Amino acid sequence: MLTFTGAKQAFCDGLNRRNFLKIGAFGAGLTLADMLRLQAQASNTPGRTAPSRPKSAIMIYLPGGPTHMDTYDLKPDAPAEFRGEFTPIQTNVTGVQISPLFPLQARMFDKFAVIRSIVTVNEHSDSLVMTGKSSRDNMTANHPSFGSVVSRVRSGQAHSAPAFVSLRGMSRGTEPGFLGIQHRPFATNGPGIQNLRQLTTVDESRLNDRRAMLQSFDSLNREVDANAAGLDTFTTRAFDMVASGGVRNALDLNREEQQSRTRYRGVEQFLTARRLIEAGVGCVTMSYGGWDTHGQNFQAMRRQLPNLDKGLSLLVGDLHQRGLLNDTVVVVWGEFGRTPRINRNAGRDHWPAVMSALVAGGGLRVGQAVGSSTSRGERPQDRPLTAPQVLATLYRAIGIDPAMTFNNGTGRPIHIVDDRNPITELL
Amino acid sequence: MRKLLLGLALGLALAVPAAAQNEPAKKKASDAITLPTPAQIKQLTADPVEFKLVGEDDARQLVLTGVLDAGGLQDLTGNVQYEVGDAKVVRVTSAGRVMPLANGSTTITARYGDKSTTIKVAATSMDEVIPISFANHIVPIFTKLGCNSGGCHGKSGGQNGFALSLLGFVPELDYRALVKENRGRRILPSSPDNSLLLLKAAGIMAHAGGKRMELGSDEFKLIRRWIASGTPYSDGKDLEVKKITVHPEQRIISRNNRQQFSVHAHYSDGSIADVTQRAQYESNDPDISVVDATGLVRALDMSGEAAIMARYQGQVATFRATVPLGVKIPSYAFEEKTVVDRFTKKKWQELGIVPSNLSSDEVFVRRVYHDITGTLPTPKQVSAFLADKNPNKRDKLIDHLVETPEYSYYFANRWADVLRVRRGNQAVRAFGNFAFHNWIRESIANDKPYDQFAREILAAIGDESKAPPTVWFRDLRQPEQFVDDACQLFLGVRVACAQCHHHPYEKWSQDDYYGMAAFFGMIGRKAAPNLGLVIQNQNQARQIIFNKGTGNVINKRTGKPAIMRALDSDPVELSAGEDPRHRLVDWMVDAKNPFFARAVANRYWAHFFGKGLVDPVDDMRVTNPPSNPELLDALAQELIKSKFSLKHLVKVMVKSRTYQLSALPNEFNKADKKSFARYYPRRMTAEVLYDAVSQVTASPATFAGLPTDKYAPNRALMLPDEAFASYFLDVFGRPQRISACECERVSEANLAQVLHLLNSQEIQGKLTRAGGRAAQLAKDPRSDTDKVNELFVWAFGRRATQGQMDVALANIERNAKNRQLAYENIIWALINTKEFILVQ
Repeated sequence: MLTFTGAKQAFCDGLNRRNFLKIGAFGAGLTLADMLRLQAQASNTPGRTAPSRPKSAIMIYLPGGPTHMDTYDLKPDAPAEFRGEFTPIQTNVTGVQISPLFPLQARMFDKFAVIRSIVTVNEHSDSLVMTGKSSRDNMTANHPSFGSVVSRVRSGQAHSAPAFVSLRGMSRGTEPGFLGIQHRPFATNGPGIQNLRQLTTVDESRLNDRRAMLQSFDSLNREVDANAAGLDTFTTRAFDMVASGGVRNALDLNREEQQSRTRYRGVEQFLTARRLIEAGVGCVTMSYGGWDTHGQNFQAMRRQLPNLDKGLSLLVGDLHQRGLLNDTVVVVWGEFGRTPRINRNAGRDHWPAVMSALVAGGGLRVGQAVGSSTSRGERPQDRPLTAPQVLATLYRAIGIDPAMTFNNGTGRPIHIVDDRNPITELL
Repeated sequence: MRKLLLGLALGLALAVPAAAQNEPAKKKASDAITLPTPAQIKQLTADPVEFKLVGEDDARQLVLTGVLDAGGLQDLTGNVQYEVGDAKVVRVTSAGRVMPLANGSTTITARYGDKSTTIKVAATSMDEVIPISFANHIVPIFTKLGCNSGGCHGKSGGQNGFALSLLGFVPELDYRALVKENRGRRILPSSPDNSLLLLKAAGIMAHAGGKRMELGSDEFKLIRRWIASGTPYSDGKDLEVKKITVHPEQRIISRNNRQQFSVHAHYSDGSIADVTQRAQYESNDPDISVVDATGLVRALDMSGEAAIMARYQGQVATFRATVPLGVKIPSYAFEEKTVVDRFTKKKWQELGIVPSNLSSDEVFVRRVYHDITGTLPTPKQVSAFLADKNPNKRDKLIDHLVETPEYSYYFANRWADVLRVRRGNQAVRAFGNFAFHNWIRESIANDKPYDQFAREILAAIGDESKAPPTVWFRDLRQPEQFVDDACQLFLGVRVACAQCHHHPYEKWSQDDYYGMAAFFGMIGRKAAPNLGLVIQNQNQARQIIFNKGTGNVINKRTGKPAIMRALDSDPVELSAGEDPRHRLVDWMVDAKNPFFARAVANRYWAHFFGKGLVDPVDDMRVTNPPSNPELLDALAQELIKSKFSLKHLVKVMVKSRTYQLSALPNEFNKADKKSFARYYPRRMTAEVLYDAVSQVTASPATFAGLPTDKYAPNRALMLPDEAFASYFLDVFGRPQRISACECERVSEANLAQVLHLLNSQEIQGKLTRAGGRAAQLAKDPRSDTDKVNELFVWAFGRRATQGQMDVALANIERNAKNRQLAYENIIWALINTKEFILVQ
């Protein structure tokens, strides 16, 4: 039995955002035109086998905006009211220090890179970091999320797994915007996944019975509709998917070895993410924890960072061990940094002037810190970067040209990222 | 548009080697046709017959045409022999391009066997240095070579630090970028050949965009001369291109044949220049005809029509190529029933194709119920229609259907999609949405004149309880948003591009755009509390729309208040207190307005015929002409004559013989994609399919948030907005109503849809519901044959074939102990067929 429901996180703006491992429903984003194209390709390429492994992305969102000052950008030399309670530790990359609550990452930091000079906007939303446009801009721009773009780009390719899976339900940052509803993420408990399971009331023999009858009834003259053959292929494939299980199995952690499940205890989402990538999903998005620490920041860090450390190190370590890390880019970030100066509730408030993000895999140049903030962690010291630039870098890492355009509702070609000068240090 | 841009970029990337690359294709095309013999030609004509070339950069494209004895015209531009009287004065390429060599005058004789014609030409000013205008001579080169395209230096922010205005629409900026920026390092007047501009463009120095021009080409020489002469901006004349024209404008060309055309730019001083080599070209249907960089059109193997866009300096024009099938066709009878038929028939005759037969009554009844009401006919309705002996029964049924509530719900659903009747996540919007949806539905049911419908939306004032169309003003807030939506929705034109730059495929400039925006600059809003409710944020307030009587919109290009002016019209002077939106609507609904009536006629045409005469429906522009312009004009006139009665428009379309053609193609129209020589079958939309499944399974819908009594909406088509959760509706492409574009509704099939119909709990629940169709039929005392036939009529509008009947009866036999199971299986199989989901 799977339970994915996590804790509710209350944010300071009074809204609750459920932090749950919900996966839902869409996805089999393969369209008829794509199917026909694929068939044509297959018939033109004799002896063609399955396409090589596609590149994937894991977008880990830390809702609420984690403090950069206590995670990846500690300032041990700043005054006490800034530096907080933690003394950084050295990682296995010379000159890069991170939180003492991240010992596991510190030991393998040659597989990570931290970006310390990202400027964002003051919005409690995953909009900017997942779509490249602020929530405010998206009121009219309706810009698609990273995963939806992956889904759109992949819709012409022969993958059996859904292109985009959300382990955190729907939010502005998972929306397909003008790309259309078929590029919404699959959600794990939605009908899309349930439809892959054989119905209890229709056993195999009845399903076969039905299928035979369908074939006899389906007598539409093919000249009437040129797409008829493609639709038949869908039907065949759908029956196959029901029979084989596919992505549904990836979501079923009971299929994972006991030992492995033990290792991931408490951070099962990271295991699910890994299994989905192994099953061929193009983009998995998940969230972890609640980071809107206006009060009791340090307690919250002591509670959450070790688990985040465990999840990230296991995920990246496993991907590496399985030879998947080069083809899978991982990013970990929230919506903004937090005030360098500690407030009277031992908390830190919103600080869009600078934040950090962690990246790994995807063939990026890791084992380094890119950019830096000023001595008190107040703003970028050099190399101010934007969230869209990080997205552009991620797109490149998975082989998508950030200058690619898709038409919006008014027929205008819109670039998938506007500010698309990539972070060259990472490439 | 992306494809278009990409196509342009590719075409341009190959601009110079293009000729070489296209050579095999050219050969193949000319091999495939047999040119008429000189004896078959009555006369050889030339365009122009007399002209003058001014200065060494001038050139002229000739077009030579053979008038055939048998009727028809044949392009011979590339086939005649050109002889120049005085070879020192001009030279002529084999493709018919004339270039000056020295001052003087002479004649060119074009010969085709024993037929010939003579052209007079004079070359002047060859010894003068003609001043170069940056805007008129240099910028078009950047456009032609793709330097300033959206993928390169033309994109906002430029490419690698060098930014040009998109497609050269703002020459002042380009001049600054080239000559002033970066301390002028891009241009070196003292040594023009070492200018970065030439070194990069000619591929001598590394250039990420590759080599764009040949060393020593005309373009190269012109830019070089411009640099050497000190990079002047102005030539002292500062001419503006007022329009461009193509010659000829249209031709009927046989399959695999070709046609040269020429392009002329008309300048503000009345002068005309040949810009055939400098314009850009794009075919709107590359399956029918393609065009190269010199304006030479080649028809391919398919028949049909293509529009070839020519673009030069912000002006566009199109050459239309009609490519008939060109085979012998049988004679056929085709009764013209409405104005539609006159013009569709004319088109088929031009194209030499034959329409399909009239559809059968069984096919027709399902089609017409679906298309007008969004429902499938019940077995009772089907048999009543089939039994009717009245020869006018189709017209009678159509007259009846447009008076049904289902008609109003169906079209209210379509209008609500594009009028943004959406809730988002704001529960407080529900009230207004219900009111607005109801207002739309009643307008349709009562056949409110469409001009009035538009006026009541565009010029709405008040609050949603009294003026429901003010709900449209919830999503739209900025004047720019109103321009984009109003133009797309009511005028069928997409002007959004022109907000930030000149429209790349139309003549619309930013001034045109902001001229429209100015009409929306006086919209006032105030928030009033909903009675009894404490306002927590602005969205929860009741919104009141009013006319402020003052206010303007800043034109982004000039930074000054925009001059209020509708597209292609004169500036508007308002009297005090007047609401400018009414002036805009006055302009729109005027019988002479070229957009308004056509746009809605086209939208409705697309609904009933599966594809707009202009496609996409809301993208009418010179460069995307209607597939049958006369028909679109005639429909617009019908609408205007009927005082904008949409029901009349529906009847004119649906009563036509064209609408009632079978979907089954014949050997002459099977390749037809846009002349409507058969009915193009289509998939049911999300809501219609959902309701059809509910009807066949006798398992009506319930939606959370609506009453559950017997008067409650029990069909998906009746839902006022998008906020009623349904995986079924979402997966089949229900739009979220976030734009004014019909394209938001996705009609394409995908795997998740197939899975949902095949194997979902939802469908299984509908099949097995107590009291549902399968349960009813299991208990029904009639014979199984009757019952199976009835199911087929529910699903397909026809009875089962013998083979299908045998399979169904065998299944019932196998499940004799539990007949309900068998009926569930039969219904399941029916709703999973293509015949069910397609309307034909």
